[in-house]
Amino acid sequence: MPVIQVKRLVRDFGPDRVLKGLDLTVEEGEIFGLIGPSGAGKSTLMRVLTGYLEPTEGEVAVFDRAPTTFVSADRRRIGFMPQSFVLYGGLSVRQNLNFVAGLYGLSFLRRRRRVRETLEFVELWDARRKTAARTSGGMQRRLQLAAAIVHEPALIFVDEPTANLDPILRRKFWDEFKLLRDNGHTIFVTTQYVGEAELCDRVGLLSNGRIIAAGTPDELRRQAFDGEVIELTLAGDPGHTGTQLEALENVGHVVEVREERDGDGPVSRARLVVDDADVVLPKVFETLNGADIRSADVLNPSFDEVFFRLVRNE
Amino acid sequence: MGALLRVRAVAAKEFWVLLRQPQLLLLLLAGPVLIMVAFALSFEVDRAKPRAVVVVEPGSEGEELFERFQDRFTVRTRFQGTVQSVEQADQMLRNDETDAAIILPPDPSESVRRGEQAVLEVRYSSINPIYGTTVPNRANGLVLDLNQALVREGIARELEDAGTAREAIEDLDRQLARVNEAAESLATPEAQAATSELDSTLAELEQTLEVLALVESGEGEEDVDRSLEQTRQAREQLAELQEAQEGGAPSVKDRIGLTELEQQVGLLQEQVSEIPFDVPPRVLANPFRLDLENLAPYEPDALGFYTPATLALLIQHIALSLASLAIVRERLSGAYELFEVSPLGLGELLVGKFLTYAGLVFGVNLAVAAVLVGTLEVQVLGGFLRLAVAMMLLTLASLAAGFLLSTLSRSQLQAIQIAMLMFIASGFFAGFLFPLDQLGQPARSFAYLLPATYGIQALQDVMIRGQWPAWTDFLGFALIFAISLAVARHLMGRKKV
Repeated sequence: MPVIQVKRLVRDFGPDRVLKGLDLTVEEGEIFGLIGPSGAGKSTLMRVLTGYLEPTEGEVAVFDRAPTTFVSADRRRIGFMPQSFVLYGGLSVRQNLNFVAGLYGLSFLRRRRRVRETLEFVELWDARRKTAARTSGGMQRRLQLAAAIVHEPALIFVDEPTANLDPILRRKFWDEFKLLRDNGHTIFVTTQYVGEAELCDRVGLLSNGRIIAAGTPDELRRQAFDGEVIELTLAGDPGHTGTQLEALENVGHVVEVREERDGDGPVSRARLVVDDADVVLPKVFETLNGADIRSADVLNPSFDEVFFRLVRNE
Repeated sequence: MGALLRVRAVAAKEFWVLLRQPQLLLLLLAGPVLIMVAFALSFEVDRAKPRAVVVVEPGSEGEELFERFQDRFTVRTRFQGTVQSVEQADQMLRNDETDAAIILPPDPSESVRRGEQAVLEVRYSSINPIYGTTVPNRANGLVLDLNQALVREGIARELEDAGTAREAIEDLDRQLARVNEAAESLATPEAQAATSELDSTLAELEQTLEVLALVESGEGEEDVDRSLEQTRQAREQLAELQEAQEGGAPSVKDRIGLTELEQQVGLLQEQVSEIPFDVPPRVLANPFRLDLENLAPYEPDALGFYTPATLALLIQHIALSLASLAIVRERLSGAYELFEVSPLGLGELLVGKFLTYAGLVFGVNLAVAAVLVGTLEVQVLGGFLRLAVAMMLLTLASLAAGFLLSTLSRSQLQAIQIAMLMFIASGFFAGFLFPLDQLGQPARSFAYLLPATYGIQALQDVMIRGQWPAWTDFLGFALIFAISLAVARHLMGRKKV
C-alpha cells in the first residue's frame, strides 16, 4: 500500500524550476532511498512531502492526503530528521528529546518511557545529561534521529543523515534504519552517497529535478547495464581470444574488452551483459570450450558506476 | 489536551534555554537593577545649580555691594569664590572649571546717577539648549533679587528720612494755623517764615509720597496717587500765596488762595491718614507673595519622577529584545522547519514562548521594583497590585511587539538593531525626555505606536499619582498586543509558495 504518491510534481523558486514533473511512489514498510547529487532537489522534494513547501504543480499525497492540508493527527504519524542539527545546544540530550516528545503531545508517562527507549535505541542514554553542545557531531545526528522517532511515527523522513559522518557511524545509522523498518516504520531517506543505495529496499535516482530511475538496487543495476554483467578473463594471444569472444555474441552482449598482461603473458578481460547470469554462465563455458579461462564471475558493479551509467543514459 | 502539552513543551524549552545562558540571565536580571541603582545614586538635583565665580574689583562699590548681598549670589549657584579680573574668569570658563562668571560693575551708583541701569554681566559657555538655559535663568533671578533688595532698602531709608507722614501732616496743620494767624499781615516776616516752613514740609511729603507711589500697588496705590495729587495742588496754591507775600499784599482780601489751601490741606489730611505707613518695607517692595498649591497627591523629587519612566523603558527594552530574537533564531537555526512538520501550531509556539518570556520579564520587573522600593526608597503610591498590573501590561505589549519584529527580521543582528532603535526612539518620543504634548506630528503619532509611551504614563499614574492607569493606556496596551500578535501570526503562517 503506497504511503507516498507523487505525480507530475513541479516546484519552482521564482524563475528557477527545481522539480520538473516528478513521479514517485513509496510503499509502506520499506526504506526508500532518494539518491542524487547536491542541488538535485532532494531537500526540496522532502519539504514538499512534509508540507513545509507547497507544490507549484502536480499531485502529492502522503497517507492519501495533501501534506499542506495535514492536521495534527497526520503530523503525529510523521517523523522528520533535518539535514543539520537544529535542536538546542544549551539543553541536555534528554531535555532536547523531552521537548520534541512534548511537541508531539506525548503524555508525561509515555514521554518518559519513550525518551528512555529512544535514547537507548540510538545509544545515547549514557550521554543523556550532557548538553547537546558538548556532544560530538555523530551524537548530535543520533539525537536528531531520536527526535524524529521518539513519537513512534509510521513514516520517517530523513534528510541526508550520514553526510560528513565516518563510515562506521554511517553503517550504524543504516543498521538503525533497518531495525526501524523491521519494526514496521516506512523510511524515506535522502543521501548523496550513491553507495548507500545498496542499503535501501528501493531507490529513486534524482537528477536535474526528475526521477530518472526507480526500483530495487538490483533493478537499477540491470537498468544501468541493460542486464547482468559477467566478467571474463581469458589468457592467450589477443587475436585468438578476440575470435573466441565474438562467439559469445550468441549468448550475450560483449560491452567491453581490455587487453592486459599478467605474470604469464597477455590476458583479455571482457564484460558480457546478459539477461540472467545464472542461466547464461554454463553456456559461456560451453561456447568457450578449449579456451584458457582464468576467471568468470557475475559482476556486482558499484552504484557509483550504476549511477554514472543511468545519468549518462538519461 | 495535546495543545496544552505542546504549549507546555515550548514554554519549558524556552525556560531551560534561557536558564542555560548565564550571561544572558545576568544581563537580564542584574542589568536593569544595576542601571536603576546607578541612576538613583548618581542623580543629584544639586548638580543642576551652575558653578559660579563672581568678578569684583577690590575696594570698589561693586565689592561692597557683593558683600552686602552675598547670600543672593550663593543661593542660586554652587559659589566657587571671587576673582579679581574678567580674564581670570574667562579662563576658568574655557577650562570648564566654572559654569558662570558674574561680573559686578565697579561703580553701579554712577550709572544710576546718569539715569542708566547698572549692568550685571554674566558670562557662560554652554552648547546644551536644554540645560544651557540654567545660567541665564538664574542670572535673571539674581538681578531681580538684587533690584528688589535695593528698592527695599531705599523705601526703608525714605520712610525713615521723611519721618512719619502723619507727623508731617500735623506739622502742616500747625503751620497753616500760623499762616492763618499771620494772614492779616501776609507781608510780615513771621508770615513769610510760616509759609516757607509750610512749603518745605509739603516738599518732604511730596518726596515721600513719590517713593511710595513707585512701590505701592493695588488699592493703596490709588490712595497714594490721590495724596500726591493733593500735595502738589497744595504746593501750587502755597506758591501763589508766597507770590502774593512777595508782592507785598497787605490785607486779608489779598490772601488769594489761603482758604483753598486750607481746604486742600484738610483733604490731604484725610487722604494721608488712609495710607498704610506702618506697612513694612518688605511688603511695600513685594506686595505680592506666591502661594503655589499642587493638587497632585505627591510631589516627587527628580529621582522619584524619573524612576517610572526609566523603569518603563527598561521593561520595554528587555521584553522587546528577548522577543525580537524568538522567532528569527528558530527560523535561522532550522528548528522552525521541525516545528512546521510537527503538530505544533504556530499559535501554540507563540503562546509557549510568550508564557516563559512574560514570566521571566515580569520576575525581573518585580525584582527591580523591590530594589527601588526597598533600598532606594522610591515611592509607589498606588501600591504593588497596581504596579504589578501596569508592569505586566507593558511587558505583554512589548513582548507582542517584539514577536512581530522577530517575524519581520531576516537576521538576529537585524532584530537586535531594530530593538535598539526602538529603545532610542522611546527615549525621545515616549515622554521620557520631553512631554508628549511638546511633540509635533508625525512624531506624536509615532509615539503612540510605542509600548513605552503608555508604560511611562501608566507607571507615573501608579507610582506618583497613586491611581490606576488611564483607560487610554489600557486601550493602547491592548491594541499593540492584539495587532502585533495577529500580524506576527499571519506572517508566520505564510507558506513559502
